[in-house]
Amino acid sequence: MDRRTQGRARWPALGLLLLLLAVTMILWRLRGSHGHEVEYFGRTTPPDEEVFRFANGAEPETLDPGLLSGQPDGRVARLLFEGLVTPDPETLVPRPGMAKSWELAPDGVTYLFHLRTDSRWTNGDRVTAHDFEWSWLRLLHPDTPARYADLFYLIRNARAYKKKEIADPAPVGIRALDDSTFQVVLEVPTPYFLQLLTYHPFLPVHRRTLETWGDRWTHPEHIVGNGPFRLLRHRQNDRLEFEKFPGYWDAARVRLRRIVCYSVDDPSTMLSMYRAGMTDWNPSGYVPAQMIPYIQHYADYRTGPYLALYFYSMVVTEPPLDDPRVRRALAYAIDRERIARYVLHGSGAPWGNIVPHGFRDYPYPEGVHFDPERARRLLADAGYPGGQGFPAVELLFNTGEDNKKIGEAVQAMWKEHLGIDLRLSSQEWASYMRATVECRYQIARRSWIGDYMDPNSFLAILVTGDGNSRTRWSNARFDSLVAAAGREREPVQRLQLLAQAEAVALDAMPFIPIYAYCNREFVAPYVRGIHPTALDEHPLKYVSLARGEDRMGRAHAGEEQALGSAAEDSVAVGGATTGTGSGR
Amino acid sequence: MRTVLTRLLALVPTLWAIVTITFFIIRLAPGGPFLSEREIPAEARATLQAKYGLDQPLLVQYGRYLRNALHFDLGPSYKFPSRSVREIVLGALPISLELGAWAMLLALVVGVPIGTVAALRQNTAWDHGPMAVAMLGVSIPNFILGPALVFVFALTLRWLPPATWGPPQTKILPVITLAAIYVAYVARLARGGMLEVTRADFIRTARAKGLAEHTIVWRHALRGGLLPVVSFLGPAMARAVTGSIVVEKIFAIPGVGQSFVNGALNRDYTLVMGIVIFYAGFLIVFNLLVDLMYGVLDPRVQLE
Repeated sequence: MDRRTQGRARWPALGLLLLLLAVTMILWRLRGSHGHEVEYFGRTTPPDEEVFRFANGAEPETLDPGLLSGQPDGRVARLLFEGLVTPDPETLVPRPGMAKSWELAPDGVTYLFHLRTDSRWTNGDRVTAHDFEWSWLRLLHPDTPARYADLFYLIRNARAYKKKEIADPAPVGIRALDDSTFQVVLEVPTPYFLQLLTYHPFLPVHRRTLETWGDRWTHPEHIVGNGPFRLLRHRQNDRLEFEKFPGYWDAARVRLRRIVCYSVDDPSTMLSMYRAGMTDWNPSGYVPAQMIPYIQHYADYRTGPYLALYFYSMVVTEPPLDDPRVRRALAYAIDRERIARYVLHGSGAPWGNIVPHGFRDYPYPEGVHFDPERARRLLADAGYPGGQGFPAVELLFNTGEDNKKIGEAVQAMWKEHLGIDLRLSSQEWASYMRATVECRYQIARRSWIGDYMDPNSFLAILVTGDGNSRTRWSNARFDSLVAAAGREREPVQRLQLLAQAEAVALDAMPFIPIYAYCNREFVAPYVRGIHPTALDEHPLKYVSLARGEDRMGRAHAGEEQALGSAAEDSVAVGGATTGTGSGR
Repeated sequence: MRTVLTRLLALVPTLWAIVTITFFIIRLAPGGPFLSEREIPAEARATLQAKYGLDQPLLVQYGRYLRNALHFDLGPSYKFPSRSVREIVLGALPISLELGAWAMLLALVVGVPIGTVAALRQNTAWDHGPMAVAMLGVSIPNFILGPALVFVFALTLRWLPPATWGPPQTKILPVITLAAIYVAYVARLARGGMLEVTRADFIRTARAKGLAEHTIVWRHALRGGLLPVVSFLGPAMARAVTGSIVVEKIFAIPGVGQSFVNGALNRDYTLVMGIVIFYAGFLIVFNLLVDLMYGVLDPRVQLE
């Protein structure tokens, strides 16, 4: 700015003042217009057409159900493809999908699936058992870069084939006996196997389409699916549009004609879109924690337990963290209640176990809790009374407001109760990821989301050699207990073995649990069929839009209930499990 | 004509330098394209690395990249395996271009009259008032202006949608947000240029001839007075297109800026490289266009 303009400096200031005044007045009117009646954050009347619109987070990297790994990708894939079984919209219990029935042989490991004869691919081909055989074996092929291949390892010889120990897929326990009979043989009886089948890696793909188009088979003009919807349009970083697939076997149940799924990953933009009535659903994971106090009173805000854990992991081979007493001391010196109340705005579920909340039959071992006395004792036993001689350690986290606040809280707690210094190191996603994968860190903020509804999903990552542990922790007793649970056919016994394994892990403390996640989502009052589920999974084929009288009444009943639990145990997620740019 | 050719040829070494620097700098950033919260099996990662040639020495990769780039093959995107970088950029570029073009048009349509009137009525309310409003545009960063506009016009008054890019009403808020800063620049440049020109000898001559005031302004003064605006236009257009990253993010516009930011965060090497090449080429070409236009508007300017 040159000198001549200085005399005019008063003008912009005045203009700014006027603008502020205008905004304040609008705000005032906005507040005044609502009395004590129920308030909704978004719109309360459905769009004219049977079209369902939601913001899906980051642009899906791929729509290939076998290769994808992001949550937004999975949401889209499950519109386009359907597996042998499909999850119930409320309980996620497996219901018939491409298979109309199945039976488990007395040996406990041989499943026989009977496929429907009336299910079609969008190009008219029949969906057969051979499609499943080919799709699953493709994922297990050593060259296929599938992140979820390990979920197949409970199938006989699947691991050996993936690891190139056998070259021929014939001994793998996956076989189409004929067009409509599909046989799967497991290594050991696995009670959650059917539940696992609802997950996206087990969805079938259309062989000829993949072979014809290669990597480009997922383009709207090529893609062939077998799910309730088919892909109409796809504009990168903008939106995907789907329409109902009339040839779907259960088409009579599908009420929506169209689905618009916006690829938007900025949480405030997503909330604006929902508020303005551009979307009918704002899925979980995209409501920043600091906004909760301002939005939790809206009747369309919903929260419930989510099968995911926020924790700190440690590389256990380097001093001073190689001593379990030190790790336990750190764990006992964290006041999780305080973090939940003050950092996560009083809506947190402080959690001291590795297996998160939500398993009714699982005998949770005693978890860690806030016990500064015990923490000090443990640290003294380890040779650092009052923190003397304890070298400063570093906490690595991916850049994010919540991660930073929690880190600062823990920093203060460890200083106060243990007298030790914690340095905070914030890194952007890819650098952070690299450091944790290569175990080049001391303490790192981590999170893990359950892949299936079983405690095993959280304990298996700590088994020696699992790439997701990232701690170098190895314990023979833990490994053998998890393995024994895998062999155990009696459900109660099995969960007990898993609980014993968790107790071992809590004793050695390679992970310090901090809180269990909760879903946080907005669902417009006229939307039916989206239920809070522990895996944040919502089969959209059951969704419908209610019109007229029915609308408000029913919406309320459901919402009241959800709100009731909100105050008790909701937790801030704050995008913690989200990679920048590729939000999951 | 020869000048244009020489300038276009000079593009090549410039682009080469930019490509080389970017190629090595992005590889220096820690992390890689295939990292995720869930471990990818080692065998599969090796396959992926081999598929994209990432297992080769860096210099070999560099050589291969240059050779392909010469054939306009910018490679596949690592993060979006079903699309090539060229497809992604060409899909997003028209949107960024349109956004930038509307913003520049708005800046001209609003900025030039403000600046001209301000110059002709120097030191009156016609000068101070509009120029103050224009200054406001410079002073408010777009990451404040954007959400403020969304709040007022999308969420409170509900006149316009808060995000996405499609029908005309979706374009209004992002264009205003992006244009705000340029309106102010253009107004100030137009005002300065006009002030200078109206005191020049040839205008005095025109006045002496007894020409009508509007003829003087329209015929003679504007042509010279707008030269500073024109020279600003090239870099500004390039900047509006390449600098719309924040606006694209706020309004969820599927332009090049979004791909660029996400590409960098995801270590999608090829995508970032591809966009850098486009951005660089864009800047160079626009500066060239401006130089040419300068010659047309001002006979005194000769291109060498």
